[in-house]
Amino acid sequence: MVNARQAKSAREKAAEMRAEAARQEARRRAIAIVSAVVAVIVVAVGAGIIIQTARHNQQTKVQAATAPPQHLTNGGFFVGKKESKVTIEIWEDFQCPACKNFEELNADQLTKWEADGTVKVEYHPVAILDRMSTTNYSTRALNAAAAVINTTPDSFLKFHTLLFANQPPENGDGLPDSQLIDYAVQAGVKRADVESAITGQKYIGWATKVTEDFSKVKHFTGTPTLVINGTVLSDYAPDKLKAAVEAAAKK
Amino acid sequence: MKARFQIAQPWLSTLARLFLAAVFIWAGWPKFLDSEGTVRSVRAFELLPEALVRPFAYGLPLIELALALVLVLGLATRIAALVTGAMMITFMFGIAWAWAHGLKIECGCFGNTGATVVDAVPGYIKDLFRDTGYLLAAAFLAYWPHSRVSVDGLLGLSTPQPVTSGTA
Repeated sequence: MVNARQAKSAREKAAEMRAEAARQEARRRAIAIVSAVVAVIVVAVGAGIIIQTARHNQQTKVQAATAPPQHLTNGGFFVGKKESKVTIEIWEDFQCPACKNFEELNADQLTKWEADGTVKVEYHPVAILDRMSTTNYSTRALNAAAAVINTTPDSFLKFHTLLFANQPPENGDGLPDSQLIDYAVQAGVKRADVESAITGQKYIGWATKVTEDFSKVKHFTGTPTLVINGTVLSDYAPDKLKAAVEAAAKK
Repeated sequence: MKARFQIAQPWLSTLARLFLAAVFIWAGWPKFLDSEGTVRSVRAFELLPEALVRPFAYGLPLIELALALVLVLGLATRIAALVTGAMMITFMFGIAWAWAHGLKIECGCFGNTGATVVDAVPGYIKDLFRDTGYLLAAAFLAYWPHSRVSVDGLLGLSTPQPVTSGTA
């Protein structure tokens, strides 16, 4: 009797030990698999960061090698009379619907102020919205604007107005380079002056640089950004703009 | 009731996995495609020193996409869910930080529209509610990682859990 009971208990013990060993084996396997997955992800993410950083550094080198367009003041395109007391700096993206809206609301008023000497304006076109077209329209339009500024500065404002009036919809294909050239010609530019610069993206280095510089300014987060005598104006409704300009003129 | 939950739970966990994976693809892919835009979004939070902005902006979408992948596969589900929850808490901290510092930004959680924000507060509230929802889904999955149609199941890394204990 005693022997039989002992034998049964020994069998049970052996089974228990086998089960315990199996549990430990499963645990080891789980840890090994999870560690492998984590290691693969860490390596992949690390490699991704290194590759993208290297690509960015390469682009920065290209940027440094390309000249900016001529005829810029403080990195922007200057319109108005030097002696005006109020300076408005405007950062705009040709793909940005809010900028189109800003232009529709305020362009006439700005032209009046520029003419009567109330306000001088520095236009700073930038390209933050390449995501909104399949063809990096933001950057291509900025490159085209640089080509126009460089050769025919007097045509910039008209070109700029044409681009906003004919802004392509978001998440589309943007305007083709040929269309950008046509608008430049319509704005009074000689085709031969800008054609190769537009199709060849001559100012792409400058375009990425001004966009990067824009995003590095504290509290500059979107377009349009308006700065009136050094103060950011976030609500650009015509009455708000007028009040801000009048307040700045009085100081 | 308990028995019914016991049957439904693995399917609910599968649903949570796929839902969070979809969120990460939806959030990570536009950030990955427009990496310079992501750099600008990260910078706009004014939370990281400039030297860390780029590595963070390049790495974040990759981590989001990697998490999406392991969640779809159902691989290392509990750890993936815990990491997801930790990320949601980090994002919510970032949004709260921007709000507390009076920044007028979009979170850029799913890529940025680039529009100048006049009043950012409604956006912050909406983002925080949304992330709370994701956090709850991640918490559910961390508590009940056993799910249907998962690599964990195939590899025998996951066993059904009694409803009362909730441990694997």
